[in-house]
Amino acid sequence: MKDTRLSLVILIAFVIVLVAGAEIAEIRLFVRIATNLSISLILVLGLQVFMGNSGILSFAHIGFMGVGAYASAVLTIPLQMRGMALPDLYPIMAGLQVSPYVGILIGGLTAAAVAALVSYPLMRLSDAAAVITSFALLVVLHTVMLQWSAITNGPRTLFGIPKATDLYLAAGFAILAIIGAMLFRESRTGLLLRATRDDEIGAGAIGANVSRLRWKAFVLSALFAGIAGALWGHFITSFSPKAFYLKETFVILGMLVIGGAPTVTGAVIGTFLVVFSFEALRAVEASLNAAKIFTGQVVGLTEVVLALAMIAILILRPGGLFATMEIGVLLGRRRKKSNEGEKPSEGEK
Amino acid sequence: MLDVAAMLEVSSLELRYGAIRAVKDVSLTVGKGELVALLGANGAGKSSTLRAIAGAHKPASGAIRLNGEDVTNLSPERMVRNGVAMVPETRDVFPDLTVAENLRLGAFTRRADVSGVEEDKARMFRLFPILAERAEQAAGTLSGGEQQMLVVARALMSRPRLLLLDEPSLGLAPTIVGRIFDMIAELKDSGLTMLLVEQNASMALGVADRAYVMRLGKIAADGTAADIAAASDLKALYLGS
Amino acid sequence: MAVYLQFIIDVLSLGGAYALMALGLVIVYGILRLVNFAYGELIMVSGYTMFLLGDSALPWIVMAAAGVFMAIVGGIVTDYVAFRPVRTKSVTAVLITSFAFSTLLQNAALLFISPRPRNVPLPDIFSETVRFAGVVTPARNLITIAAAVILLAVFAWMMKRTVLGVAMRAAATHFTMARMLGVSANLIISTAFAISGLFAGIVSLFWIGRIGSVVPGIGLEPLLIAFIATVIGGMRSLQGAVLGGFLLAFIDTGLNYSLPQDLLKFLDAFTFSLVILILLWRPAGLMKGPASGQRT
Repeated sequence: MKDTRLSLVILIAFVIVLVAGAEIAEIRLFVRIATNLSISLILVLGLQVFMGNSGILSFAHIGFMGVGAYASAVLTIPLQMRGMALPDLYPIMAGLQVSPYVGILIGGLTAAAVAALVSYPLMRLSDAAAVITSFALLVVLHTVMLQWSAITNGPRTLFGIPKATDLYLAAGFAILAIIGAMLFRESRTGLLLRATRDDEIGAGAIGANVSRLRWKAFVLSALFAGIAGALWGHFITSFSPKAFYLKETFVILGMLVIGGAPTVTGAVIGTFLVVFSFEALRAVEASLNAAKIFTGQVVGLTEVVLALAMIAILILRPGGLFATMEIGVLLGRRRKKSNEGEKPSEGEK
Repeated sequence: MLDVAAMLEVSSLELRYGAIRAVKDVSLTVGKGELVALLGANGAGKSSTLRAIAGAHKPASGAIRLNGEDVTNLSPERMVRNGVAMVPETRDVFPDLTVAENLRLGAFTRRADVSGVEEDKARMFRLFPILAERAEQAAGTLSGGEQQMLVVARALMSRPRLLLLDEPSLGLAPTIVGRIFDMIAELKDSGLTMLLVEQNASMALGVADRAYVMRLGKIAADGTAADIAAASDLKALYLGS
Repeated sequence: MAVYLQFIIDVLSLGGAYALMALGLVIVYGILRLVNFAYGELIMVSGYTMFLLGDSALPWIVMAAAGVFMAIVGGIVTDYVAFRPVRTKSVTAVLITSFAFSTLLQNAALLFISPRPRNVPLPDIFSETVRFAGVVTPARNLITIAAAVILLAVFAWMMKRTVLGVAMRAAATHFTMARMLGVSANLIISTAFAISGLFAGIVSLFWIGRIGSVVPGIGLEPLLIAFIATVIGGMRSLQGAVLGGFLLAFIDTGLNYSLPQDLLKFLDAFTFSLVILILLWRPAGLMKGPASGQRT
């Protein structure tokens, strides 16, 4: 438990340093990057809660981000704009407006509810079938977002979402997400779930109901995704279904895989690494385009590099950078080793 | 020391499963035309040794030589082409393939020689008439003893120079076991070189020329079959004193 | 009467394409237990090959052959880039490397060709309509049915009669044992990827034949279809993949015919819901694959 607390302290420290750094620098760009990073943290931690503990790859995660974003948007767009933004909105919702903070919570709960309803049959599938079906689920969520114009404004951009997310709010939720993910991992459900990941039959023998465990983790991860989505919506103030599909799925998968899916540390470190690398690459892309070295626009460079990085990590360190132990545990072991090394010299008897 | 040219020479073999050393230091030889038995209790490392010789398990250290050539790290399919065929303890018939298809697959390395393969298949059907009867049946529907015959016949289809047999009597009724060992004796008479892993020491020693006894990953005793059979501490060797 | 015939032709032609697509996926999965996320991109590769050859004076059949050939090459390259380096590491690792490879290919097309649709040459016969017994259908549909039937028959023959086919079926049951009989692992795997590429290439001719152009993301829908057909058919069963393909086509076409206009845009959501019901009833899929004690 001490090691867990150490891990939490270190990871939360990362976030605090991030916030402090952005605020001190007082550059708007940095604040924006830090806010986006915090939101990504919540998203990737949600993915870690399910993927890291169950061992099953889920492609549907970003879909639930969209559910949260739209759920909060529909209820928080100011009434005077509602008619313009969502002309076909159902009368019950058209007159209802809540504060963005309530909206964020509703976004998370809606995503969790959808996940709870839809996902139970998926949890009974074999690993490969579950992955494939999660992929299909993403497509379905995307299709619904694209077509349900009454609520989402269809494929068009949805405007008018009140800006309520600032760096402190996002970072605050990120810290909550770190704590939540760690608590889940060490909880009875988390431990049992991880046991099923390593030995399904053995875990069943001690009474673990694999489907139910997976389902709980999936619903919790959707809660994280929904909150992240709503937070993002209130940050960026306008979005379309395009933001919740394959490209973003690939990016969050990259963050988790590179960092290490089985650990919360992995999710956090991976997110930091990828976001910083992305910003660096974008700067490179921008200067390449400005210098007009290639005839056309250089686009997609960041995805290509991320793809190569993922393949490289998977070859060299298949589990990711933090594949088995949280950072607190790693440091704890090193401390113990150096203590033991000192003992003989502590004076002869 | 033997004055028979060694076909198979295993030196200081070490095998690991992760951190566990299943085989610590095994050295043995099999001469051309010999039937050598590898005995020992469960978990002694006999099957692992056989799998390493067949190429299915990379040794952590040590060497394996076939007719003088170093074959230590060759893949299973290369070992078959070098004339080594293995009949695994799990009796892996391909259950959805027919008996005939299983046999045809055994001759995969000789697939260019269509008529030769047909001849061999006919020969197997003569040697094992029960397989001829069930030629078009799915291999998974055969009884344990029939499957054992199938996997041996399948291994023979590649015309091996060295046959590795892993616990052929495992899980079979005593009468069937007798027939399996009759078959093994016939194969020996035909000049086939064999390395036989068996828990059933008495039956194995009945057909073998020489034997090794393994215990906890090492060779604990070796000698002619008669010597080993006469040794009164065989039980101790198996179970430890 | 004509409506029923029309329906049957639609289901058979769509099902033929779906079945081939699914089969290409299962061949690799059955032997390697690995899902190839870059599979859809083989259709993209074939399409762009034909686009790049489009201005030449070559007859269409040559361009089509080139497209199919490049799909086969693409399949084998996928093995070397995304599978071989990580095959022994973990199942998740391979899923992700193939997903990464898929992104790589799509972005390569984006960067080096164009994000906008590009026209692909089509033979005139594809757009000709055929009329009989009150049915009006593009000739392309009938050609698809014929091609699917021929390919499936040849494939079934190959699997049953040739020693390579027997070896592949054995490898899908127990790869190590097959190797201990002398079956070369590399040969089997490369063959599986090549066949997978062949099927994707053939499907691309008809898939693009319906649309007339190619975009970087064209592979997503066929990939999804292959996925779903495979899952409902039974992950490791070749017959299941074919059955799944036809069943999916049946559901899709049926819903297409019967959904009211304003719900039609949710077609995918409905199809998927039906698929979920099938999976609720049969989590392991409709057909059992070859016997194996290993994790599916």
